[in-house]
Amino acid sequence: MEVLGLLAEGFAGALTPANLVWVLIGCILGMAVGVMPGLGSSMAVALLLPVTFALDPTAAFIMFSGVYFGGLFGDSTMSILVNMPGQASAIASTFEGHKMALNGRAAQALATAAIGAFIGGMISSCIVVFMAPALADLSSQFGPAEFFALALFAFVATSSVVTDNAAKGLATLFVGLGIATIGVDGVSGAPRFTMGSPYLFDGVSLVTVTVAVLALGEVIFMACLQRHTAAGGQLITPTGRPWLSREEFAEALPAWLRGTAIGLPFGVVPAGGADIPTFLAYGLEKNLDARSKNPKFGTTGAIRGLAAPEAAANSTTGMAMGALLALGLPISATAALMLAAFRQYGLQPGPLLFERSADLVWSLLASFFIAMVVLLILNLPFAMVWAKLLLIPRPYLYGGITVVCGLGIYAVSGRLFDLLVLLGVGLVGFVMRSADYPLAPLIIGMVLGPLAETSLRDAAMSSNGDFMVLLKGPIPIFLYTVLLLILIWTVRGKIMASRKAKQEAGV
Amino acid sequence: MTDMSASAGPTTRLSNNQMLIRDMIMPGILLAFATYLLIGSFTMNVPEGTIFPGPRFFPGIVIIGLYLLAVVLIIESIRERRHDERWQGDMVDPTAIDHIAIDWRSFTWVVGGFLGFALLLSTLGWVIAAGALFWCVARGFGEKNLVAAAIAGFTVSSLTYIGFAMVLGLQLPSGLFGWGV
Repeated sequence: MEVLGLLAEGFAGALTPANLVWVLIGCILGMAVGVMPGLGSSMAVALLLPVTFALDPTAAFIMFSGVYFGGLFGDSTMSILVNMPGQASAIASTFEGHKMALNGRAAQALATAAIGAFIGGMISSCIVVFMAPALADLSSQFGPAEFFALALFAFVATSSVVTDNAAKGLATLFVGLGIATIGVDGVSGAPRFTMGSPYLFDGVSLVTVTVAVLALGEVIFMACLQRHTAAGGQLITPTGRPWLSREEFAEALPAWLRGTAIGLPFGVVPAGGADIPTFLAYGLEKNLDARSKNPKFGTTGAIRGLAAPEAAANSTTGMAMGALLALGLPISATAALMLAAFRQYGLQPGPLLFERSADLVWSLLASFFIAMVVLLILNLPFAMVWAKLLLIPRPYLYGGITVVCGLGIYAVSGRLFDLLVLLGVGLVGFVMRSADYPLAPLIIGMVLGPLAETSLRDAAMSSNGDFMVLLKGPIPIFLYTVLLLILIWTVRGKIMASRKAKQEAGV
Repeated sequence: MTDMSASAGPTTRLSNNQMLIRDMIMPGILLAFATYLLIGSFTMNVPEGTIFPGPRFFPGIVIIGLYLLAVVLIIESIRERRHDERWQGDMVDPTAIDHIAIDWRSFTWVVGGFLGFALLLSTLGWVIAAGALFWCVARGFGEKNLVAAAIAGFTVSSLTYIGFAMVLGLQLPSGLFGWGV
């Protein structure tokens, strides 16, 4: 029970009054950004990441875990009340959640979502605590071949498998890979693609690129295109009791647990985060419901159809932190941002983090639990207060977001150059967003590109240019086999779907 | 919320050819970026004694990938638009994003506002530059009450200055108001 002792020390570190204030601030800010229309949890992290750099590492990460989970709790509010999901992982919650709200059960829907997120997050955090050290031990034996296989897996999964159009996903992935090669090459010391400008010697900052594509590009997109589509419904004001009756709780409980179970494995699979598990969890509940005597889905809103995806989203997100801490492998754009945050403080997540910065890791893990409790308290009685945030006029909301973008980037770098990079990449992000290119592969490519390149070169150099060395060892072979199977399965699914579409068009 | 529907201005729909041109922007960016990397690869000073695979190897893969994907995307969108033409109307959702013309006035306010903010930040100082940025973006989103937007903007910029520069000690330029940090 060495783990429990370490965790207790972590709690001791995290439960100081100052750190409790930081976790509270993080939760409130994360919730606030997550609740806002059109802003999801990844944007909450992107916007608030640079702002935390003014703090010392422990305080910053404790605040950050609040932001990270707060954004997720906030996501569902918008889905339920306005039927506008902040990001893809909140879409599944709109189906039944919004129907519940339309039928006068908005407050109960918000409570169901909050408790679901709490359960998913708590269970996954417990598993992370026990699993992460073991995973870190395992990954300490990883060499270049293993890391290259993991990176390649993440590239293929995020760019092709989870996106609608593989060419578009790969295109943004390669842009990310390309941006990551700018700067002085770590192996040979040659400056690459810098045009001789000292501004580019350190490369383009990941934080700048993420804020640019996720926040600034989104603002431009909203201003020029999105607000001219008539999308977006009426805000439903939640009334009634913001808690669940015993019957409702009993009805939702199995769905919360099933959702959590579905979400857990996706936290360690680099396949883009919580989008897939939320839909899987929703689909499972729908199928189970269709078999029961008294189907509830699709009519007045089924509590289980909301409970499962919310729990799944948070259990994936919690597990993703475990994979990030132990392997240094981000599975989603949000996790990639957390990785950027670690690097900003000179910390490299992965096996060595548990040895070198044990205090920080365990305080961070402890603060997950604290953040979860704080968020449940912030959500259950105050759900109506959060809904008031939706009343901020959009011009002011986006004006404020743009100011925070500028603030964060300027505060980190202090250079005009980075503001111009922010604008330039933001424009590219706007083009990508309006032409329906996925953004996550770009960020994954930028984060894992250097890892893929160094492990590729290390492997090839140690074997005198023989790339077959990448296929040696059980872990790489296992990963490539799984990847191949997933690819075959995806291609097969896509071919069947297009055949079906052709048949229907022919009728 | 009434605000959401009220903010939607007049929308213009695009013709098929205009949509095709818009589809070409992203492949164009890919080609430009690939070419930048290609030129950079040729002009790179590789230190002597670097063994294979050197600093050009991985970017080489990226460059090839970018060129290939740009070509694939161009072919794909031409085919898609031809398909759209045949199915005129019934299969295509007219409210879809790719059928709507960009609102260039909003674009100018938001992008121009940010460019001005970036260039003038050190001269004007955070409070004025960020307040003006807020105001420009609010205008880009169709805000009519310009005085209220200015008051809101300077409130936000002053509060962030107090919070981040004075309390947390971030380096923000004080500019014309030479007080504070």
